[in-house]
Amino acid sequence: MSSLAVTWGVTHRTLQLVARLPSTIVPSLVMPVVLTVAFAGAFSGLVLLPGHPADKAIDWFLPLYTIQGAAFAGVRVGIAVARDLTTGFYDRLLLSPASRVSLLAGSLLASPLLSVLSFILLVVIAGLGGASFKAGPAGIVMLGVASFSMALAAGAWSVGLALRFKTQQIAPLMQTTVFLASFLSSAQMPLNLLDGWLHTVAVINPMTNVFALARQGFLGSVNWHDTWPGLVSLAGLTVFFCLFAYRSMQKVTP
Amino acid sequence: MNTAAAAAAQYLALSRRAMFGTLRKPTSFVPSLLFPLMFLALTSSSLERSISIEGFPEVDSFLQFAVATAVIQGVIFGSISAGSGMAEDIEGGFFERLIASPVARTSILAGRLAGTAALGFCQAWIYFAVTSIFGLSVEGGLAGMLAVAIVAAALAAGVGSISVALAIKTGSAEATEGSFPLFFALLFLSSAYFPRSLMEGWFKAAATLNPMSYLLESLRSIVVAELSALNFFTALGIALGVLVVGLAVASALLKRRLAMDA
Repeated sequence: MSSLAVTWGVTHRTLQLVARLPSTIVPSLVMPVVLTVAFAGAFSGLVLLPGHPADKAIDWFLPLYTIQGAAFAGVRVGIAVARDLTTGFYDRLLLSPASRVSLLAGSLLASPLLSVLSFILLVVIAGLGGASFKAGPAGIVMLGVASFSMALAAGAWSVGLALRFKTQQIAPLMQTTVFLASFLSSAQMPLNLLDGWLHTVAVINPMTNVFALARQGFLGSVNWHDTWPGLVSLAGLTVFFCLFAYRSMQKVTP
Repeated sequence: MNTAAAAAAQYLALSRRAMFGTLRKPTSFVPSLLFPLMFLALTSSSLERSISIEGFPEVDSFLQFAVATAVIQGVIFGSISAGSGMAEDIEGGFFERLIASPVARTSILAGRLAGTAALGFCQAWIYFAVTSIFGLSVEGGLAGMLAVAIVAAALAAGVGSISVALAIKTGSAEATEGSFPLFFALLFLSSAYFPRSLMEGWFKAAATLNPMSYLLESLRSIVVAELSALNFFTALGIALGVLVVGLAVASALLKRRLAMDA
């Protein structure tokens, strides 16, 4: 069996496993939609603040929850791997002649694929909710790049944790870290309207650049100034967490 | 021991069991205690400037505006554990042994809900203690905090009764915990996080219809203005309304389950 076939086999199985467990698919699919609608509605007055770059709250909050939904798709994959490790299925995979890189790649590939559904759903919701789409398809492409890359990075982080701890009880750590990484940035408010400790943290948090990349098409035109820091941050996060997952895979023993 | 004393002892024993059962499982109460605090810290910091928007109620800080929401959010999430506890009793067979004993049927519900209410009451004080360190001032004073804690306890029992009703109906802890998005949506479709005066369209209409908005706005008034009988009884009335509905449904479902098991 070729390495590619092994990778696809693991990806396919992970997608099937997550799809068969509504308790895992619902949070990654339904919650971003609910949160987008709730935040865009509840904080509709926030854009009245002088200096806020959005015309409508949905333009500000939709990219946030699209990216968070994608990141949580990665977390779901991590939980699925932790489940396989708990039940012993992963031990059988490790004892097979398949290369470990192929096994890891299979799990990691499942994260962005899993996030496709919530991405499509949220773009449709954005259309129905009157989002601006000021940059047209280019803005949606930027949102897609940010979402799928975040799914991969969060998936690598979660799978790495699962491989290190070999228990489903590590799930809250996966979720909390992803949540905190998002919110300790310009997630809720633009950088120029943040003060104090949160402003300091947001400036150094690479997620601020990721949100700028994802939001630019909703706030104005797609430009290089907002694009390159986001791409560099995403590349850094993805490489760092994939290496973390790879190191965790090397250490795991059946 | 006379009948009344025996019944009181049963209520006490079952409420103690519910309370200590929750405390022995940190995974069932620590997230509901910490998550709203974490969310409060993040929103208070990031939305601080929003209090300068025209039409925003007069408050010292966003922390002062949002603390009542954090209390209610924590209480709601924590009370779902009452239902999961009951469902675990059903799954584990304890419920069967309990109904085979001569224990008063009402104590099965009342015992568990009293434990949940006590936890909700304590949770409110923990939130006030933590946020006071970060500069929260409650204009209603200690009496105001007590008023908020009493409403929190009543709402904990109310949400707990709905959660227990789900547990009796489904007998599954997972299904009971699945009710979380329902309460979550109820909280979000209200003025929990931002004033209604700054909302618009269908969301404002939904928040205006949602009783949770009035409960939160009454508690918020106690924190940002003063303790008034009107605000206290409005909030308490809504919390007790939830409790009455939840108890009626839970009692009916318990009766049906007992009849099926008989």
